[in-house]
Amino acid sequence: MLHARSEEWPDGDAFLEDAFARGWTDGLPVVPPTPEKVEAFLATAGLAPEAVLGTVPTREVTVTAELAAINAVMAGCRPEYFPVVVAAVRAHLDEHGNCHSTTGTLSGAAHAVIVNGPIRHEIGIASGAGCLGPGFRANATIGRALRLVIRNVCRAVPGFLDRATFSWPLRYSFCFGEDEEAGDWTPLHVQRGFAADESTVTVHSVMRMVSSWDSTSRTPEGVLDTLVADTRHHGFNGDEFLGDQIPLVYVMGKEHQRFFFDAGWSKEQMQAYLWPRLTAETAGARDRRYNLGHPENILVVAAGGAGMAETWILFPHLAWAITTPVERVTLPA
Amino acid sequence: MTIVALDPTGGPLDPRSERRLAPRPESLAGQRLGLVVNGLGHSERFLDALAAELTADGELDGVVKVVKSSVSVPPDPGDWARLTEGATVAITGFGG
Repeated sequence: MLHARSEEWPDGDAFLEDAFARGWTDGLPVVPPTPEKVEAFLATAGLAPEAVLGTVPTREVTVTAELAAINAVMAGCRPEYFPVVVAAVRAHLDEHGNCHSTTGTLSGAAHAVIVNGPIRHEIGIASGAGCLGPGFRANATIGRALRLVIRNVCRAVPGFLDRATFSWPLRYSFCFGEDEEAGDWTPLHVQRGFAADESTVTVHSVMRMVSSWDSTSRTPEGVLDTLVADTRHHGFNGDEFLGDQIPLVYVMGKEHQRFFFDAGWSKEQMQAYLWPRLTAETAGARDRRYNLGHPENILVVAAGGAGMAETWILFPHLAWAITTPVERVTLPA
Repeated sequence: MTIVALDPTGGPLDPRSERRLAPRPESLAGQRLGLVVNGLGHSERFLDALAAELTADGELDGVVKVVKSSVSVPPDPGDWARLTEGATVAITGFGG
């Protein structure tokens, strides 16, 4: 039995205008969350409506599966996307996901949802050309569903608990897959302890996103040296709560990946090369130490299309990168 | 055609309207000042200087200063208790 309060509207347009008026949207139209749709979503994840996905103790908020499903419907998800939304919500609400801070911060941090495993192909998560932008329903709506949960359930409303000075467009939605088939690298989720045939979500809180563009290097070392310089332009200080698990995510495009595949470099070799260079002592105002506890905290993700010799640096906000499994049930045909 | 839909919130989005501000004292005389240092930038130096300014005339009854253990989390439960039990007015600052 569903628990959320239900209401009746004369038609879909009336619901939509009322949803805007009540502050239930991110400023874009939403799909009416009918009880039938919400129940269909819950069924794909095998979850009871009252199942708790996580809490925000500082806000006295509990996020249930039903509330997540309602917001996933509103975001435009298909039912089969919902297990991915559930995994993302659980990751976001992990203690070290530090959701109170990452959604209330002046910096306006966004939340990257990185999907690994077979579910990418089953539901159409884009990981190739254009995957960080618009045009892909699964990417767009799963990322948006997490943001609507953050807004509608966790009360991160601009001007109230969301204190962002500027905020940024990535807060509408930010979800993509790893292009695991690009080469022979170990996929992100396998590096983080899951089996290759499992599907996972990694939620990484992003404080700033910087392009490391290098079209002249032709070796792994050259590409990585540019990446180190661009990363150290900003650096990252330590934090007591986060300890030695502060992450750093590199989303590497094809024109950079190929130098590593050609030379037989693994992700682990890249981490070993990068770590001492990133953590070397600060040398100046624009050459700052990046405080990484371990080489494994450097998360390299293959994604994107051909053409641009570019790797995106996803600097974290004050949170660990959290990886959670996508759990679903097989529905009768 | 009518449509039935569900409320996506777990409660009021902005419950501030349901809460009331505590009474404001007319002066700081006899009050105990609570300070919360979030650890960003020079927040501790700033709040120390502010406390020195406010205590200079001797009217305050004392200062309860809390320094968060990390910029990324709220004060510890023990620090909350010190504030709520030991301070009658408070200054909190935030910033990047």
